[in-house]
Amino acid sequence: MKIHRLAALPLFLIFLLPLALSLALILPVFADAAAFKALLNHPQFWGAAGLTLFTGLVSTALSLICALMIIAGRIDKPPQAGAMLALPHLSLAIGLSLLIMPAGLLARIIALPFGWTSPPQWVTTQDPYGLALMAALVLKETPFLVWAFASLLNRDDLRQSFAGQRAVARSLGHRPASLFLRVIAPQLLKRTVWPLVAVLAYSLTVVDMAIVIGPTQPPTLAQLIWTDLNDAEPATAARGAAGVLTLCAGILLLLMVVGLSIRLGRPHTGKWLSGPPGTGLHKISFLTQIWGLWSLFYSAIVILLLFQSASGLWPFPNLLPEDFTLSAWVKLLSDGGPLLTSFLLALATATTALVATVVWLEGMRPSRDKILLWLSAFLLCLPSLLIGLGQYRLFLALGITGTALAMFLAHVLPVAAYVFIMLQGPYRGFDGRWQATAAGLGQQRAIFLRQIKWPMLKAPILAAFAVGFAVSIAQYVPAQLAAAGRYSTLTIEAVTLSSGGNRALVAAYGAALMALPLVVFLLAQWLSRPRWRMR
Amino acid sequence: MLSLRNVSLTLHDKALIKPFSLEIAPGKIVTVMGPSGSGKSSLLSFIGGDLDEAFTARGEILLNDERLNDLPPEKRGIARLFQDDLLFPHMTVGENLLFAVPRMPQAERIAAMRAALEQAELMGFEDRGPHTLSGGQRSRVALMRALLARPRAILLDEPFGKLDRELRVSIRGFTHAHIAERQIPALQVTHDPEDAPPGGRILKLTATGEVIDV
Amino acid sequence: MLNRRRFLALTAAGFSVRPAFAADWAAIEAEAKGQTVYFNAWAGSEQVNGYIAWAGEEAAKRFGITVEHVKITDTAEVVKRVRDEVASGKADGSVDLVWINGENFRTMKTEKLLFGPFSEALPNYQFVDVEGKATVTQDFSETVDGLEAPWGMAQLTFFADDTKVTEPPLSMAALTRFAEANPGRVSYPAPPEFHGTTFIKQMLLEAVINPSMFYKPGDGAIFSTVRAVWESMLDGLHKNCWREGKQFPKSQADVTQMVADGELLVGLTFNPNEPANLVAAGRLPSTTVAWQHKKGTIGNTHFVAIPTNANAKAAAQVFANFLLSPEAQARKNDIKVWGDPTVLDLHKLAAEEQHAFATTAMPGSVTLPGPARLEPHASWVPLVEQAWLERYGKG
Repeated sequence: MKIHRLAALPLFLIFLLPLALSLALILPVFADAAAFKALLNHPQFWGAAGLTLFTGLVSTALSLICALMIIAGRIDKPPQAGAMLALPHLSLAIGLSLLIMPAGLLARIIALPFGWTSPPQWVTTQDPYGLALMAALVLKETPFLVWAFASLLNRDDLRQSFAGQRAVARSLGHRPASLFLRVIAPQLLKRTVWPLVAVLAYSLTVVDMAIVIGPTQPPTLAQLIWTDLNDAEPATAARGAAGVLTLCAGILLLLMVVGLSIRLGRPHTGKWLSGPPGTGLHKISFLTQIWGLWSLFYSAIVILLLFQSASGLWPFPNLLPEDFTLSAWVKLLSDGGPLLTSFLLALATATTALVATVVWLEGMRPSRDKILLWLSAFLLCLPSLLIGLGQYRLFLALGITGTALAMFLAHVLPVAAYVFIMLQGPYRGFDGRWQATAAGLGQQRAIFLRQIKWPMLKAPILAAFAVGFAVSIAQYVPAQLAAAGRYSTLTIEAVTLSSGGNRALVAAYGAALMALPLVVFLLAQWLSRPRWRMR
Repeated sequence: MLSLRNVSLTLHDKALIKPFSLEIAPGKIVTVMGPSGSGKSSLLSFIGGDLDEAFTARGEILLNDERLNDLPPEKRGIARLFQDDLLFPHMTVGENLLFAVPRMPQAERIAAMRAALEQAELMGFEDRGPHTLSGGQRSRVALMRALLARPRAILLDEPFGKLDRELRVSIRGFTHAHIAERQIPALQVTHDPEDAPPGGRILKLTATGEVIDV
Repeated sequence: MLNRRRFLALTAAGFSVRPAFAADWAAIEAEAKGQTVYFNAWAGSEQVNGYIAWAGEEAAKRFGITVEHVKITDTAEVVKRVRDEVASGKADGSVDLVWINGENFRTMKTEKLLFGPFSEALPNYQFVDVEGKATVTQDFSETVDGLEAPWGMAQLTFFADDTKVTEPPLSMAALTRFAEANPGRVSYPAPPEFHGTTFIKQMLLEAVINPSMFYKPGDGAIFSTVRAVWESMLDGLHKNCWREGKQFPKSQADVTQMVADGELLVGLTFNPNEPANLVAAGRLPSTTVAWQHKKGTIGNTHFVAIPTNANAKAAAQVFANFLLSPEAQARKNDIKVWGDPTVLDLHKLAAEEQHAFATTAMPGSVTLPGPARLEPHASWVPLVEQAWLERYGKG
């Protein structure tokens, strides 16, 4: 492969440089000893830390287990999870709480036969252990992992190699459950380390979902930090920044512990991997059929959001609102500006991030990827408020706040991080022999890329674009700061309106926020369908 | 004894293999030859139990008079070797072998694995990754892995196709010797008439789907 | 054309503008023409947003200024933005006018981030009820000093569905008894959420007979003299609260929604007309009633202020003045529009102007009003919040 130093330039300009400068501008301001002391003395700190660790680790583990089970059951035809990725975290949390809260749909269904007139005193949301939050995270992250696994299983080279390995393993006496866990799953996991890190980081730092459905006494650490960072009092904001650094350090430590225990545990895993055929695993293989639950749940969420968006007064225990009104949708659609801004920004940032990433991957040595992966994961761990503030100071110094350029830069940063994380694995996993074959046939590199490599990598490339698009749509804090009130996006409108608690309006925006990325995901899915089904 | 009775194979209403019967005695290797796309490999898939749904196969597969048709692949006791060695890349050589050893006390499993390594002249390779092995070493591990499962029959799907000429001769000899020694009936498909053991029966698949003795 | 606009401006500004004043003001209005005011204001309510949109359209028609509503969720965002802008020397600030009060005002005032004094020089300031409403000059015990223009009045108000709460609890003690009779159906937003903090401050005021100590700076030692009583009152309430007082709703909006669902029986708000407004909007049942505690509830004023680096200071003043006009205040007061109580003294207005403020009782209006009580001095906020978190923050 030819190495071009300049290939790093686009990603450097839109990602590395802004990120480094933002951090340099924001971190020293906040990191003082008094702030850390104040953090440790916060009455809720230890409780929040414990809750965060519990919800983050358990939900990540459960998401992984569910995703593996789902893939195990449909390894020949992995489910299409892309569309589910389009549902924003916030919309999902809102939809889930509309379903399970004491005045939610489930309670209403039960209330009818039992004759309840007021909502039951269920602890279904805001439960002290964060179980509802964990459920929301598992519901959201499982499709993401399923999708990551599926994009591997849909790769022609891996597909063939896995098919052969499975045939061998079965001929050696291993049942499908055993061979999946021992032969396929370890190889999938090895290739999805970064998406897994992203899931863990997200679960440990999620704010918007926690606000909707998580507990308050104590809240998760991310919520605690969020409240502090939002405070106008510099000392309180500094305590929040100390919290961010603590949380980041904690995540790094956790990753190191996990990495180390995987390494130290290698002899034991090896023993398990090479275990004899005939374990009892097949007895729970019916669990691999749980994918239907996801389809069911996501459909229910979308229907519930649409229904709620058109509802007027809806007293308990009525199954239907007393009246229907389209006022929320009228409100949303009457000003097309934010919708268009969101769309154009997402299109521009996802395209730029994709091009910059491909240029990097084509031009740089694979060994250089690591730093970018770490930085991307680090960025995903940081609360958006912190990075948003740093970025904002950078824009102020450059004098570009409230300009289209600032909006673009603020959105492209997280988009680039996600696109790189999503695309790096599949792109680097591309079999180099194809290029050798093409070169052997006397083909130019440009022709090879255009006619062979990119068409073969069509699915992961389009998926990375779709993820980038969705990430751009969902940006709130950095967007809001960079816009300085000169631009509005769909998300800015949604978040500001949701603080008033008008459920119909919140639901309408939740549905609208989902619609744009959904179209892009479905389009990407359709475009990347295999030309023919492999035998 | 591996027996095929009136086995036939069709793809989209096109007869690939017309009904034929075959018996393979323990320790014997029957070789099937035929042009590409004649259905040789699919025949092995049918016997192994993972034939693609696009094909329709008829006839009975019997192993020591036990009917195998309705058993899943892992219950048939039929080992398979492919053109690719298909060693699991995430396991060490030792783990690849252990993976095939049936349930028994762990110490005995390990002893079986070490014995196999010795037979393959690969002592000391136990903790190496498969990617560090040469092509010939990998082939020997793949064969040993198949044999460790104590198969009642073995199917060879062009197992020497990717080896260079010199290696091909030695691996072929190694494989055939082990099959004969363990008295396992084997069916192999190949392009190369030299793959057939001396004096072994050779069948030919014709373009019209007939199976004839050569 | 010009004359007509001047005339309208004068009409809007009231009829008795002093001539000398008018000359200065005319200069400001002339400068304002063509400017754009970026008005940063909480945007969680369609009613508020609708009102701001109306005011912006009027300002465009009458004064030739453009008003852009910058929608925000938390005024602290604006404080931080202005601080960063000023620190980086940005003279043409992105914020021209901000909706503000309390802690955020104090921060901006202390850090000298505000333009002014300007508010008392606004022509319409003469109608402000300076004598009757102490909070228009004392924002959470911080003197306003002309750095922000009063916009509306707020007072802690409770509401419930009349069919479920036949006898509204008119004190914290009554609320505690109500909770005993209806376990699990009373709660309030978790401090430091603004309404939650106000609720525990209200508890503080009701914990003592003479609350004068709370209007002076507080500290740990002074607080310790009342802390036990305050905590035992909270304990008494919490044991029959929603989730046994081990969890609290996250926001006032959540509480309101839970009342609408029937999960909670009593809601709270800072806008006495919000319940009626929500009834009109179809979000609360028409049987809703609202009340204040018999001995009074905490009341305050909300303001608009101009950052020191605002780009359109003239237009911001013109718009602030328009917001103070009897016409704009009367419209804001209308429950069907927003229902935000006026800061003006109706007696200072002409008879027909007063008439515009006449309200007829609507479903959800406050039927049992109580007097407004001053906010405790701002130094009490961290004391009670910290104490609350220590005792109740861990579940």
